Amino acid sequence: MTLPAPDPLSLSGVFFDGRTSRDRAATLTVSAGEAQLRVDGGLETRWAVTQLRIDPPVPGVRRVLKFPDGSRFETADDASVTALEARTGRNRALGQVRRLETRWWTALGALALTLALAWGFVAYGIPALARGAAKATPRSVLATFDRETVQFLEDGGYLGSSRLSAARQAQLQTEFRRVTAWAGGGYPYRLLLRDGAPEDAPFQLGANAFALPNGTVVMTDQLVALARSDRELLGVLAHETGHVTHRHGLAGVYQGLGLTLLSVAVTGDLISAGTFAAAVPAALLRNGYSRAAETQADEGAGRYLMGTYGTTRPLRDILARLDREDRNADESSVRGGSRTEDLLQTHPGTAQRLRHLRDIEARGR
Amino acid sequence: MTDAPPPAPPGRHDRPLAPAGGAQAVSELPVVTTYPLAFTGQAGEYFRIWIVNTALSIVTLGLYLPWARVRQRQYFYGHTWLDGQNFEYTASPVALLRGYLIVGAFFLAYSVTANFDSTLWIAGLIAVLFFGLYPWLVMKSLRFVAASTTYRGLRFRHHGKAGGAYLAYGLANVAAGLTGGLALPWAWFMQRRYQVQNAAYGNAHATFRGDVGDFYVIGLTGLAVGIGGGVLLALPLIALFFLLGGANFPEAGGETFTPGLVAGLVGAYLALLALYAVAWQYVRAATLRSVLNRVEVGGVVRTGATFSPWRLVWIGVSNALVQALTLGLATPWAAVRRARYVVQGVQVRAIASLDDFAADAAPSESALGEAATELLDINLGF
Ligand SMILES: [Zn+2]
Repeated sequence: MTLPAPDPLSLSGVFFDGRTSRDRAATLTVSAGEAQLRVDGGLETRWAVTQLRIDPPVPGVRRVLKFPDGSRFETADDASVTALEARTGRNRALGQVRRLETRWWTALGALALTLALAWGFVAYGIPALARGAAKATPRSVLATFDRETVQFLEDGGYLGSSRLSAARQAQLQTEFRRVTAWAGGGYPYRLLLRDGAPEDAPFQLGANAFALPNGTVVMTDQLVALARSDRELLGVLAHETGHVTHRHGLAGVYQGLGLTLLSVAVTGDLISAGTFAAAVPAALLRNGYSRAAETQADEGAGRYLMGTYGTTRPLRDILARLDREDRNADESSVRGGSRTEDLLQTHPGTAQRLRHLRDIEARGR
Repeated sequence: MTDAPPPAPPGRHDRPLAPAGGAQAVSELPVVTTYPLAFTGQAGEYFRIWIVNTALSIVTLGLYLPWARVRQRQYFYGHTWLDGQNFEYTASPVALLRGYLIVGAFFLAYSVTANFDSTLWIAGLIAVLFFGLYPWLVMKSLRFVAASTTYRGLRFRHHGKAGGAYLAYGLANVAAGLTGGLALPWAWFMQRRYQVQNAAYGNAHATFRGDVGDFYVIGLTGLAVGIGGGVLLALPLIALFFLLGGANFPEAGGETFTPGLVAGLVGAYLALLALYAVAWQYVRAATLRSVLNRVEVGGVVRTGATFSPWRLVWIGVSNALVQALTLGLATPWAAVRRARYVVQGVQVRAIASLDDFAADAAPSESALGEAATELLDINLGF
């Protein structure tokens, strides 16, 4: 079958013979399967259209047609070259890409798609992958992690021996075992009571409690002193066991790794990902993950307190006291923080946490 | 000469090409013509190309990445003009993809095996392999980039050999390390000389007329910027540290960082990064300018640069800031802004027509080195 012969295309441009750098004005006429090249100064050659190689289009860039003898014809007449491509079926895929690149609405669509995928990956992909990886991590790795962290804190002078009496310590250990029996998960839980402000500490931990991945929970004398009842301390310990059972510590490590890989993808190489432009958003995202983990741990602690005492008040009180740095404070003395302050915090704002715990109590009744 | 008549009437290109240094033999004073480079890329147009190709790379899980890279580079080359003709980037995406896959596989193997004691030796082996092959990869990359650049229908070439690469990128870097940085400017000099001296446009070889003293001046200026800025930064930072370090960190829960301390640490980190960026960008910009002022091609062409290194530093630092604030979306704008400033500040001075260069046999080059230097961001200095 033969289609009616299309109109001949006539393109004007520059010719290079591929052997010298000399440019010569030229015209290329394409009709019915044959391309006729007329170079200024007399040279005239004919090629079959099938012998032409047409370089894929890039917006705004001069088009290049190559001939089998290494010579080439360059032209700004993109419309004619596009017509030639359409006739000969060349550069279909990249021509399609060029069409996407030329229009603002498709570019904005690509932007929306990129942002949506990036957001989906950050909000769901990384946390899910990190959770999976944390679950799959063998217990022996967790044990090493605990051992080395405690050793680091003690050798570095961050933690001193507790000044609490032996009886008081034994009492807290008994209460801790009640919490761990509730938390479960088969971890070798142990409670380390330590002085959080030894004299020559390079860095004052102060009133604090934290959990390591394999069930080691450190609580400082200063926190014990801040509490007005052991119920408050049990609330804190229940919160810490939540970090253990959900493997938040390890998930945090993996999330950091995932964010690094994402930075690599965004910045395009492995080195710039470690710098400046990538550091700030990565830090904000890490804080976001960390806040989600705190909320989850509070949820567990809230349920424990509801089950044991029927109220989340003890945890609320000690959180408020920690926030105000005041032994006489309670939850009514905490004001709400601003949005930006919230963004920079690894823990949710105290006001927000108190609201969450009150909600748990309201639900529990 | 009684050979077959040339297909075209004898033109300028039929004159014998002046060999390197041969131009001086001409008794009459040569007429020097200056050709400024021009850049016609637009930020909006490039943004569309960039975002469409980024989206395609993500959707194809990275397989489209070589096509994206090639198109992005084609845009910049194609919008760089000299004497009425534009440059062209001709790398094959398929060749790049092969290189990316090999480098990516090694990087993945390294990352995984480095995590476990039992497989640590594999990671060590890969690291040793990388450092051993580093100069060779740089050489392959230079050859590939040169062979992928076309102007007026002629390809550039890089004739670098492995021996020279191991001297400039192996021995010189080791010497720089052993001397505590004293030999670093010498290493830069060796590397730039290797890059330029082996480059060729068609069959016209480039020569490098720079000397090692230029690089010491640049290095010392960069060092002075780093030290001076460091002193200015240190005073408020120490005060800040004491202010925040003395406070307690009252938080129940896993972390011991208050927002104030986090903000302070982030601020200090950013300030140090900015200082490092300024010093390093200065060295890069000044080196680029110095090298461009000392390149000669085929004895008939010299390149020259009039852009200001400090202005380029400002462009680099403000670009990074804007990119960070826009979460990377300003990257195309930043790239166009930098390219425009650099390209507009480069000229070519010639004592012969730019029509008179001739082609050289051009073997194909492997893309492995290019893939490695691109993915690992090995800095080639240009
Ligand atoms: Zn917590």
